[in-house]
Amino acid sequence: MNRRLVGAATIAALILGFLLSLQVQTQKSVDLAEQIQAERLDQIAGVLRSLQDENARLSEENHYVASELERLRGAGGMNPLLAAQLEQLKIQDGTIPVQGLGVKLVITDSGPDVTVLYPVNTDDLCSIINTLRFAGAEAISINGQRVVGSSSVVMSGNATILINSVPIGRVGATTYEILAIGDPDTMHDYLSRLEVFTLKQAGMRVDLTKEEVTLPSYKGSYYFDYASRTST
Amino acid sequence: MAGVLFVAALLMVMLLKSNLSATAETGQTGLPGLLQLEVENEQLAKDNERLWQELTQLQNNQNGSELAAEQMDAARLNAGQAEMTGPGIRIILDDAAERENTGYGNYVIHEEYLRQLVNVLWSGGAEAIAINDQRVTGQTEIFCSGAFIQINGVRQSPPYRIVALGNQSDLRAALQFYFWDQLGYYQQQYGITRELEIPTQPLTVPAAKSRAIRFAAPVRETAS
Repeated sequence: MNRRLVGAATIAALILGFLLSLQVQTQKSVDLAEQIQAERLDQIAGVLRSLQDENARLSEENHYVASELERLRGAGGMNPLLAAQLEQLKIQDGTIPVQGLGVKLVITDSGPDVTVLYPVNTDDLCSIINTLRFAGAEAISINGQRVVGSSSVVMSGNATILINSVPIGRVGATTYEILAIGDPDTMHDYLSRLEVFTLKQAGMRVDLTKEEVTLPSYKGSYYFDYASRTST
Repeated sequence: MAGVLFVAALLMVMLLKSNLSATAETGQTGLPGLLQLEVENEQLAKDNERLWQELTQLQNNQNGSELAAEQMDAARLNAGQAEMTGPGIRIILDDAAERENTGYGNYVIHEEYLRQLVNVLWSGGAEAIAINDQRVTGQTEIFCSGAFIQINGVRQSPPYRIVALGNQSDLRAALQFYFWDQLGYYQQQYGITRELEIPTQPLTVPAAKSRAIRFAAPVRETAS
C-alpha cells in the first residue's frame, strides 16, 4: 500500500517536473522570439527613419529650388506669353505640380467592415484612369504618383502594384486615393456611372467627392533614345 | 496542479506561435513602405538635379527667352505634340471573320485589349504610341461605346493598328511577358487575328493636338 503510494507520487513528481521544464523552455523560446522581433523592428525602424530624414531633406531642397526658379523666371525677363505657353505644356506633360477643381476618389478594399472577394487590381486602376480621361481630366494622380501619357500600371510579383515603376501599395492592403483635375460635374458623373457602381458591388468602400485638389509632379523622366522629331 | 501547469504550457506555446506570426506580418507590411520611400527619394533626387540644372542655366544665361524656347521644345516632345520617327513595332488586331451567334463578345477586339497592349508597351519602354494614327497621350481615352471604340474623341473601327516606337527587342519582350500569349489563345479559340510586325524601316507616329487647359493651374511655390 505504502509502496504503491510512493510509486504514484514518483510518477506524479516526474510529470510535474517534465511540465515545469517544458514551461521554462517555452518561456525561453518566447523571450528569444520577442528579442529577435524587437531587434528586427528596431532595424526596420532605423532604416525607415533615415529614409524619412532623407525624404524630408530632398523635399525641402525641391521646394527651395522650385521657388528660386519661379523668382528668377519672374525677374529674368522671360517673355510672359512664352512663359504661359510653357506652363500649359508642362501641365500636360505632368512635370509641374498642379492644383484646381476636380474630384477625389478613395477606394478601400480591406479593413474591419469591408469584405471583398477580389481586391483592387491593375485592370480596375487602368479602367478608372481611362474613364477619367474620357471625362476630360487634365491631370490625374494615384497614391502620389502623377499619371502621365507614358505611365504604366503593372504588377511586380503577385502582390505589389507599380505606377511609373514605383510601388504604390500591396494588393488587398492599400487604400487608393485617386485625384483628378477637370470639370468636377462631368468626372463625378462618369465615375459614378462607370466605376463606382462596379466597385461597390464588389464590396469595396468608395468615397467620391468633388473638391479642389493638388497633384504632385511626374518625377520619372521622359526619354527619347530611339524616336526623334520627324525631320521635315 | 499538473493540469494547471499543462494548460499554462499550452497557452505559452500558442502565444509564441501568434507572436511569431505577428513578427512575420510587420516584416511584410513594413517592406513595401520602405521600398516606396526609397524609390520616391530616388525620384526626388533626380527631380532636384533637373531643377538645379535649369536654375544654373537660367542664372548663366541672361536670355530667358532662348531657354524658354528650348524648354518648350522638350515639353512638346513630352506631351506628344510633335510627330516622331524611329524604330519600333506594329501590331495589327482584327475581329474574327466568322462569328457564332452565341458568345458574340469573344469574336471582337475589345477596348481592354487595346488598353492592355498600350499599358504593356509603355512598361516595355515605348517612347511614342499611336493607334490608327491617333497619338496616345496623357489625355487619350480608349473607350468602347457599343459598335465602335473611341480614341481621342474619334471613332475607330477594326482593324486596329498600334505603332510603338522604341527599342524593338524590349517592346517585343514586354509583349511576350504580359499579354501576347493571351491574345494568341483568343486567336486560336475565336478567330480574332493578331499580327506583330518588326519592320527594319523607321516608323512614324503623328503629333497629338494641343488641348486647352481650363481647370488645372500650376502650384505656386511660395518662398518660405
